[in-house]
Amino acid sequence: MMKSASCGITFSTRAVDNQQVLRQWFDPEKTPTVGRTPDYRFSLANERTFLAWIRTGLALIAGGLACAQFLPPLPITFLREGLAIALLLLGGVVALRAVDHWARTERAMRLGEELPGSKFPAILALVVALGSVLLIITVLINAVRE
Amino acid sequence: MSGDPGAAAERTRLAWRRTALSAAAVALLALRPVVTDPTHVGKWIATSLIMVGWAAMVGIAYRRAKGLTSQPPRPARRTVPAFALIALAFAVLGGLVIAL
Repeated sequence: MMKSASCGITFSTRAVDNQQVLRQWFDPEKTPTVGRTPDYRFSLANERTFLAWIRTGLALIAGGLACAQFLPPLPITFLREGLAIALLLLGGVVALRAVDHWARTERAMRLGEELPGSKFPAILALVVALGSVLLIITVLINAVRE
Repeated sequence: MSGDPGAAAERTRLAWRRTALSAAAVALLALRPVVTDPTHVGKWIATSLIMVGWAAMVGIAYRRAKGLTSQPPRPARRTVPAFALIALAFAVLGGLVIAL
């Protein structure tokens, strides 16, 4: 994005950046008409990455729906429902992040800038790992209690 | 096909198809609550909205697949955020289906 170029005047450009985010999602080619159209293969690769993230999000949503419907009631009250809602939330966040990352990558490619890096995959991995550890603990507690 | 180096367009078309199939899985999972509790109006509304979203996703993927057949293939624009927003709507409506 423009950040590297506008570091000195961060505060004034930040608001503009935020306004442009939505427009950028819907029309990365037009906002603003800078740079050059990259090789279509790069754009298609970016699109496939987006689709892979959307599938990840859809899988999380499916997991949430399956949790709520097929798990027996868990030892802790509302744990099942909480798990389902957490998975649905995670799926929604993944979908939003996917389109944002797609738009920023598309823009960076037009401008010939460095592709945007992201901590999101690491954060998602940690959240999923934490969730499974918590579940393992509840299952163990349940087993010991019986 | 010499016009599609690395089969980029082909792979993208298949990726759209996979994603539409994943959406189908979510839509089918969301269908069950309304079958087990057919008297709940709220569940009916949320479930039918999910079905509409699913149909929209399949339609978008189909249209996009056609757009990929041109030479050179045109990059995606509004199809991408539309797909993401429908996925987000799935999450919200799925939550409603569960919580209601």
